[in-house]
Amino acid sequence: MAWKIIRRSKKRHLITRTLLALVLIPVLIPLAVTFLYSFFSPAEIKAFLDSRGSYAGTAFMEVLLFPKTASISQYYTILIKDMSVLRMFANSAFYTVAILAGQAVVIPAMAYALSRFRFRGREAVFFLILMLMLLPFQVTMVPNVLTLRSVGLLNTVWAVIMPMWFVPFYIFLVRQFMIGLPDELFEAGQIDGCGPVRCYMHIAVPVCRPVIGAAVALSFADNWNLVEQPMTYLGQRIDLQPLSVMFNQLVKTPTGIEFAGAALYILPALFIYLYFQEDILSGVQLTELK
Amino acid sequence: MFTRKRSLWLFLLPGLAGLMFFYVLPFIGGIWYSLTDGSYKNSFVGMRNYLNIWNNTMFRLGLKNTMELSAICAPLIWLLAFLTASLLMRIRPQGVFFRSGILLPYLMPSSAMLLIWLVIFDYGGVINRLVVLLGFEKVKWLEGSALRTPIILLFVWKNLGFATVIFLSALQEVPEPLYEYARLEGAGFLKQTFGITLPLIIPSAFLVMILEWINAFKIFKEVYFIGGAYPDESVYTLQNYMNNMFSKLNYQNVTTAAYSFAVIVFALFGILYFTQRRLLKRLG
Repeated sequence: MAWKIIRRSKKRHLITRTLLALVLIPVLIPLAVTFLYSFFSPAEIKAFLDSRGSYAGTAFMEVLLFPKTASISQYYTILIKDMSVLRMFANSAFYTVAILAGQAVVIPAMAYALSRFRFRGREAVFFLILMLMLLPFQVTMVPNVLTLRSVGLLNTVWAVIMPMWFVPFYIFLVRQFMIGLPDELFEAGQIDGCGPVRCYMHIAVPVCRPVIGAAVALSFADNWNLVEQPMTYLGQRIDLQPLSVMFNQLVKTPTGIEFAGAALYILPALFIYLYFQEDILSGVQLTELK
Repeated sequence: MFTRKRSLWLFLLPGLAGLMFFYVLPFIGGIWYSLTDGSYKNSFVGMRNYLNIWNNTMFRLGLKNTMELSAICAPLIWLLAFLTASLLMRIRPQGVFFRSGILLPYLMPSSAMLLIWLVIFDYGGVINRLVVLLGFEKVKWLEGSALRTPIILLFVWKNLGFATVIFLSALQEVPEPLYEYARLEGAGFLKQTFGITLPLIIPSAFLVMILEWINAFKIFKEVYFIGGAYPDESVYTLQNYMNNMFSKLNYQNVTTAAYSFAVIVFALFGILYFTQRRLLKRLG
């Protein structure tokens, strides 16, 4: 009887694992192939990409799995020979860091105010944040452009950076975590003589480490993939555009180094993910809207 | 809970000021634009912009596509995420590899995935090899109405993991003895799902649906990457329309379109929210 149950559960797990693998394989293949192709020689990749768009009835592109000669010359071109891609990469990095720095000041503090203080209008502010979460970027785009222009920030990096400091979703995310913290935690702090500020520094922030880590990671992903904001706020400044906006220009006339560009762009995101993944799994406690 | 503390303002004010300046005031100020004619004198025209835009074929095309794309993407992600999370629960506490693998794309820049997407979905690409292998005709994925498929798949690819994580944290709250009891009674996976799991995770299930729908309403990046600023009419979204009107400096049309859309969005989420409330009341 007992062994039968064990065998059945093992068998069920086998099916479960197979099904999960069926989900996971298509998810991971595009990433793996991007890295694989970044080690092909530029000439081979260019020939491969130029074979796209052929409408011959039965002709297929090759399925490239092994490079004729493994090479790092794609990376060499991007990192040393021609730095134009690298410059856009640096732009992306600058936006990401600047946005995260501002968010670190604004977002946990706002979440703290909305979860640990009782004041009139608290529910109204929270409701406002929920409503703002729903709005697509384009709704506030035009008035924002006009305001930014009148204060002289349009077509500067600040036009992209500053509005992102206040993204409602992250306030929501952190607030949902903080409101679930037990009151005793803060009462203990108050008994020890901590005011709200010290409770924030010594209790709220350390205890919220998972959700703050999760917010950093999710926000990183957003900032690293900016498209709409730079397109509208930096219209005339090609030199300030991040790499995420320029990828589809690069792809139009491939020179064979695009996969290394993509791989390099994925790499920081990969590190961030590996570093913060446990935080995302334990920090995202969005179980309901309350 | 802190009450009547002055330091509240220290925490609240920076965020609130920023929200006001970059979100709320533009939102309110924009209403004025949608009610004026944009000429030198900028005179008040009432609802004329709204009438014009609702008769504009490109606006209606964009609205229709945004609605359709989000109505495909959000439920698709919801369902896939629920199934994936249920599967992950069965092999818990193992399966760390699967869990992290599925969440991985959420952090990946989809801009960098564009190239591999174009290769995979090329007329001579791997997807068409599979299609032929299964005995069908090759499909032109990158043009015409088939363009929706790679766009939707890129969107699902990126967003599936986060929805799965929310479901996972909800599923972990469901007490395990309930399932044991159900299994003793001979209930299968479907019965357990509809009898135990779903009723107990209604709030999260709605939250996933709402968050994914919000995301899907904002779908633009994927369209812009694969289809450009003027994509095929099957994927021309409202965001394409607004961005193009914006680059033509037609601010009246952008804001009018934006507010028309905002009203629809608020109405839809209002309905979703109250459905959830009523459902919870009836069950609980």
